[in-house]
Amino acid sequence: MSVITLFSGSFCDNEKVEASLVETTGSTLVTEQEIVEKASSLSSIGVKKIKEAFLEKTSIFNKFTHEKERSIAYLRLALAEMLAQDNLVITGFPAHLIPNSISHVLRVCLIAELKHRLGQAATLGTVEKEALKLIQENDKNCSTWVNTLVGNNDPWDKALYDIVVPMNTTSVEEAVSLISEKSQSPAVASSDASAQAVKDFLLAARVETALADEGHNVVVSAKAGKVVLTINKNVLMLKRLEEDLQAIVNKIEGVEAVETQIGKGFYQTDIYRQFDFETPSKVLLVDDEREFVQTLSERLMMREMSSAVAYDGESALSIVDEDEPEVMILDLKMPGIDGIEVLKKVKATKPEIEVIILTGHGSEADKKVCMDLGAFAYLQKPVDIDLLSKTLKLANDKIKKQGA
Amino acid sequence: MSKKDDILKAAITLFADRGFQDASMTEVAKMSGVSGATVFYHFKSKEALFLIALETVKDGIIQEFDQYLSEHDFESGLELAEGIISFYLYLAGTMEEWFLLLHSHYPYKLALVNEECRSHLEKIYNSLVDIFERAVALGREDGSISAGDSRKTALVIFSMVDGVVRFKIYNLYDTGALFNELINSCRKILKYKM
Repeated sequence: MSVITLFSGSFCDNEKVEASLVETTGSTLVTEQEIVEKASSLSSIGVKKIKEAFLEKTSIFNKFTHEKERSIAYLRLALAEMLAQDNLVITGFPAHLIPNSISHVLRVCLIAELKHRLGQAATLGTVEKEALKLIQENDKNCSTWVNTLVGNNDPWDKALYDIVVPMNTTSVEEAVSLISEKSQSPAVASSDASAQAVKDFLLAARVETALADEGHNVVVSAKAGKVVLTINKNVLMLKRLEEDLQAIVNKIEGVEAVETQIGKGFYQTDIYRQFDFETPSKVLLVDDEREFVQTLSERLMMREMSSAVAYDGESALSIVDEDEPEVMILDLKMPGIDGIEVLKKVKATKPEIEVIILTGHGSEADKKVCMDLGAFAYLQKPVDIDLLSKTLKLANDKIKKQGA
Repeated sequence: MSKKDDILKAAITLFADRGFQDASMTEVAKMSGVSGATVFYHFKSKEALFLIALETVKDGIIQEFDQYLSEHDFESGLELAEGIISFYLYLAGTMEEWFLLLHSHYPYKLALVNEECRSHLEKIYNSLVDIFERAVALGREDGSISAGDSRKTALVIFSMVDGVVRFKIYNLYDTGALFNELINSCRKILKYKM
């Protein structure tokens, strides 16, 4: 038998699928809550604090605080200990903590179109406006979580799963039978290699928590007792840090050898430094076309601009409140609060944020309205990335001038 | 002193005083009484000159400490630690330009992209912290120090002492008045048992 992980959007019939799947396959259900509680008891961090690792409240622009890293390390440890057993159905956010090397895991994602999710919420007695807010919040958390762990903004990306079940066109029964059938497939059967991968995962988690307890934050991997630590932070006294890390890790039972190496992040600061002055470092992209906005985000990343993404006006405004981006790239046509409304509100409350309108359905009249409302620029889709970079640079110059 | 040494001495003073950006090779030449061409003949670029200046500071600090430690005897680890703290402050007072250079931002920025600069800085800090660490470890052996973790304690003590140096070179406070309290505080940290 194998392990099934279920990662799902809110209001996607996930509870029904979980319950029925456990019954059909005779598996043990391991809920997110159980893993959180176990992590809490292993670390003596409160349950509530650990759960904050699933949220991205502090700032989407900054790296996780040390506390979150420690929580995640302990979530990994809790999960790794549970994986000693087979025949599990693991639900919720921890699903993404399992490394791909553990091959006897069937990774399932349950997701549905927004309309279907709103319908589900309605049958559960949640009014539409409230439901929309919950869904957006949940999606944002999912996106941040997946991005933190695998560097992918889209939590529903097919590449992350063995099966993505579209719940708007699949009944609970069909979903359960599909998943349980796939879980019998030889591709996800336990093997010596996958059992070893579980042991490696456990050792790496033990090392990671030991390091986190000492205040260190490094990427840990383990293979048959050999531990590799990747330092992703620029440290001048590198040798000293390496010795300190080795001294901690060498004491851990089951560790046969420790190696330290430098990761990409070690050299990252210089790149940011070079570009810091020319381009805004906090860009918020607001567009309901997910694919477009993600591609754009990646392309900006290649130009050393970190960007956050919002898929609708409402979440955009809450990000503006909490994280104060420098520049906002805004689509006009969006469901809910539209772009013009967002522009008005931003300019009324945070006039220092420069807003670049990027729209596919523009007109001269719209342009005039936006510019009168204080937009920095008005660009048409499809946009030339060089033109957009140039505009961002100009916006940054303006910000820097005003700040000076 | 050779011409090259004169140039270096002038370069350290100028880099320390003005920072990398605002120090010019022409001024280095003027200050050391040679022509601009001579400066460029010995040191190919401003960056190269800066690196050699930093290396000189590194060698200077290490040598000064070696000499101090070889000329003094200490009864215990704690006494050694106190001696080092005093000597660090003394050195920062007499060789102020070395510490001004070390407390400027440029070398750390350069270290991100320049391996040689990185290595000089790493050596300076490693040898300084090593000296503190040796004292803590020694004190733990002879019982004069009871701090838990030699390595981390050494880093914390060092950053405290170096912070006082910063107070001094930037004229933030009359640090002479802090000396006794600094020694007392370090003593408290070193003798504190968890």
